[in-house]
Amino acid sequence: PRPDVDALPPGTHLLFAQSGRIEHVPLEGYDMNKDGAKAVLYLPAKVVIGVAYDCVEKMVYWTEITSPSISRASIQGGEPTAVISSNLGSPEGVAIDHLGRLMFWTDSLKDHIAVASLDGSQRRVIVDSGLINPRAIIADPPNGNLYWADWNRDAPKIETSHMDGSNRRVLVKDDLGLPNALTYDSQSSLLCWADAGTHKLECMHPGRGDRSQILEGIQYPFGITSLGKNMYYTDWKRNAVVVVDRYAGRESNTFQPQKQTKLYGITTAYAQCPAGQNYCAGN
Amino acid sequence: DATQGTSADCQPCPCPAGATCAVVPKTREVVCTNCPAGTTGKRCELCDDGFFGDPLGQNGPVRACRACKCSDNIDPNAVGNCNRETGECLKCIYNTNGFFCDRCQEGFYGNALASNPADKCKPCSCSGQGTVGHQTTCSQVTGQCQCLPNVAERDCSACQPGFFNLQSGAGCERCNCNPIGSTN
Repeated sequence: PRPDVDALPPGTHLLFAQSGRIEHVPLEGYDMNKDGAKAVLYLPAKVVIGVAYDCVEKMVYWTEITSPSISRASIQGGEPTAVISSNLGSPEGVAIDHLGRLMFWTDSLKDHIAVASLDGSQRRVIVDSGLINPRAIIADPPNGNLYWADWNRDAPKIETSHMDGSNRRVLVKDDLGLPNALTYDSQSSLLCWADAGTHKLECMHPGRGDRSQILEGIQYPFGITSLGKNMYYTDWKRNAVVVVDRYAGRESNTFQPQKQTKLYGITTAYAQCPAGQNYCAGN
Repeated sequence: DATQGTSADCQPCPCPAGATCAVVPKTREVVCTNCPAGTTGKRCELCDDGFFGDPLGQNGPVRACRACKCSDNIDPNAVGNCNRETGECLKCIYNTNGFFCDRCQEGFYGNALASNPADKCKPCSCSGQGTVGHQTTCSQVTGQCQCLPNVAERDCSACQPGFFNLQSGAGCERCNCNPIGSTN
């Protein structure tokens, strides 16, 4: 086949990591256009774990664990650039605050959560206690909240804090197994997680605290992202992206890339930034 | 580049049999896109995450990619469990460490290779009062902490018979009881 690494066409896409590459699947409505799937970036020597998207500058951000770093590249065709490459242990989840122009990440060796400007400057650790295996992290800038999951087998939990690490609280700690994957749907204000231990997909309203099960019997989720009625999770069992219709409560589609190896983080690359004002803009 | 009109326009992929390749437009670099199962890298020379080896024999004999060998002391839900080439274990659990997660961490003792996690590495928990220099480490195998003079027990938490005053922090003192008036 001919060159594969080009600018992405306009529209909304799924971006996901598969070891040495970041792939994309275009979305038509909420459906995957599997024929349009291809690699966005080849990073052959790297093991890419987390991916996140900045809708303002149309950049994909990712964490990488072989020479631990956080990098970014324009999905309109740009060179990968490392923004953080020192003092990282095992960076896993990464989240973008597109309003505050910040990135957050979890580090599963240093057992902390850190923040920096999108260019890597002004770096700071904001949570550094009580973490064993932090992985997924999600930012909700319009409400000024951060969410993360720790899959510590002895005491898995999902936590929240303000975006500076203050007002930290445990949201979920009962009936969790390996909550690898986390996503926040701003339309429904629901925080949802996919659990590779309980094999359940569940959601809760972080303010009200009510919890509901979307689906059980899912296989081995690693990452998840949501858009409208659908959630899309990466599955370590099938090496595939699996679509879940949250209202029908069933898996409605799967996409299996040609290369058969583990899929890691997944995110939605929106055509346009979601509406919303920065919570901190009032300060 | 098939547009040059020469017989050398299309060249075979420099990849193991069956793998396809692509040219990165910006750099003109050729990368293999469909490496054989378990391998990755520009030329399929690396092992996937969770595996180690040297599939093309770039640094010595060919070693096929094998799952990380870490004495059952890694978690399959973790990423980056071992170095992709050397196999050095990077994320030992159950208080183990070492190249193969085959030893107890400093401050722990026992048998890192025991089959039951509870039997693996236990904390030394050396007594602060009875241990030389308030050390927190102990013998990796027996768990014996380094006791101050006349202090006994694995964790240096008691005086030897006939001695007292562990609290001194300098070892225990002889009781010096009068043998005539004492019961034993």
